[in-house]
Amino acid sequence: MVGGIVVACVLIVALIAPLIEPQPIGDTDLLNAWSPPSAGNLLGTDKLGRDTLSRLIAGTRNSLLIAGTVLAITLVVGSVLGMAAGFLGGRVDGILMRIVDAILAFPEVIIAVLLASILGPGITTVIVTLALSWWPGIARLTRSLVLVLREEPFIDAAVVSGTPTWRIFRWHLLPNIAAPLVVRASVGVGFIIMAEASLSFLGLGIQEPEASWGGMIRDGLPVLRSDPYLALFSSLALGVTIIGFNLLGDGLRDILDPRLESR
Amino acid sequence: MLRSISVPPIFKFILRRMMGMLPILALVLVVTFLAAHALPGDPVQVMLSDHSANLQMALRLRAQYGLDQPLWRQFIAYAVGVLHGDFGLSFLQVGVPVTEVLREAVTISPLLALAALALALPLGTLAGVLAAVRRNTWVDHTIIVVLVAGLSIPNFAIATFLVYSFALKLEILPVAGWGSLEQAVLPVVVLAIPSAAYIARLARTFMLEALQQDYIRTARAKGLRERLVIGRHALRNIAVPLMTSAGVIFGGLVSNAFVVETIFNIPGLGRIAIDSIFARDYPVTMAIVVLFTVFFLFINLAVDFACVMIDPRLRARTLAS
Repeated sequence: MVGGIVVACVLIVALIAPLIEPQPIGDTDLLNAWSPPSAGNLLGTDKLGRDTLSRLIAGTRNSLLIAGTVLAITLVVGSVLGMAAGFLGGRVDGILMRIVDAILAFPEVIIAVLLASILGPGITTVIVTLALSWWPGIARLTRSLVLVLREEPFIDAAVVSGTPTWRIFRWHLLPNIAAPLVVRASVGVGFIIMAEASLSFLGLGIQEPEASWGGMIRDGLPVLRSDPYLALFSSLALGVTIIGFNLLGDGLRDILDPRLESR
Repeated sequence: MLRSISVPPIFKFILRRMMGMLPILALVLVVTFLAAHALPGDPVQVMLSDHSANLQMALRLRAQYGLDQPLWRQFIAYAVGVLHGDFGLSFLQVGVPVTEVLREAVTISPLLALAALALALPLGTLAGVLAAVRRNTWVDHTIIVVLVAGLSIPNFAIATFLVYSFALKLEILPVAGWGSLEQAVLPVVVLAIPSAAYIARLARTFMLEALQQDYIRTARAKGLRERLVIGRHALRNIAVPLMTSAGVIFGGLVSNAFVVETIFNIPGLGRIAIDSIFARDYPVTMAIVVLFTVFFLFINLAVDFACVMIDPRLRARTLAS
């Protein structure tokens, strides 16, 4: 319940972000740098005098856009490769699962470091890194669901009547595995947002002048003693959002599929 | 006639696992090599900076870094070097071996991670077991709320609040740095929190499962005290599933170590990796990637080995095949 409300608020903020930002996020006012919360800047300003509230709102949008993109890519790639592994079996299965195991054993920050030095730090690096490290989880779940489905008579019927494999994937397997996949994916959104914020915090993710929660916390930390508002407010926004998504994900999982255990 | 030599099955098992690691290692070597050597941009020009017109110096540097060789020969030199623990020369600190750049950092990061693990493992296991034993009481509910918070709030956000309260408001701990015991407290705690929460969550799940097993009922039926039922019978059986998650736990520790080193200004591998990306010091970045890869392959091998050794059922199954 609480999770649902938090997520709904965050989604609305992200959707109408450009309408409710009090000031453009790039507007600098050096004479007004590091100002505490005031009537003009409800949550204060940063080192360039940019409005913290506006940048938090823009950060919400960026954060969710990246999470959404990563989710879409991982769902497509993970489900297709998972179906291929589970349905075709044999060598395809063996190779795919070896790759899945290898990636799952690898911390995503190492992938990020590798990609950031090749592609340069930025949004592309974040999306590719997170997509690369999250699809194996989806693929593994898809595979286990397909292994059960494969024994069903309607799949046998489709095979003997000569249905092309891609049609079996699209019309026979996918409708039956969509629900648990979406639940699993929704459980992951909070962690994707956290990973994006971590990468932006390290400087590998969203670059200035674009706004990101992770980047704002990094900017605020060194001046925590004199001007704590930037770091504290952005940490709060990030923490509340992720807790909201995690509570919602756990709730959805309990309602829709009690058997599904979190990884 | 060749007499077949009998090899203990456990060595066969380890050998097979090590062979399985080779393709991953080879792939990482190729990718890191390409990233360091085949990207656009001439490192020699960057190194020369003010002396970019000095052709003689350029030639000398090119020869020193082996950049005058054809690409395939550079790769062989690189691969052979890595296998000998030599990662070449740094681009940024001209002429300095990468191993020299990393020498101090190499001990800092594992120390940080191990200290955090030493704190997180007992704390997490205790919290998880307590929650499972006191299921659906206020103890369980409180622990779950703390766990969700620990898993959900990124550690740099937690660090912000901890530094603000303990270092700035209460002034009992230093803000950042590395070297003294006081300086290590906050980083280790911040690093331990997500891992402790993750371990606690696993321990609770596994404990709930273990408590429903027949041997627990037997132990209780023969009148064993509850403390012994939990401590002797149930606890041992959650060790194996916990061990299999060690790879994920270490992965989390490493990812978080990068962040913690940045927050607290600790000169470990994570911070050097980030700095080297921005300095385009590719040999240093790639050396760190290779080091972490090797570290992870061995963690996974060690975990597999430990699981087989601990669990007699698993041992019988693995060694028979």
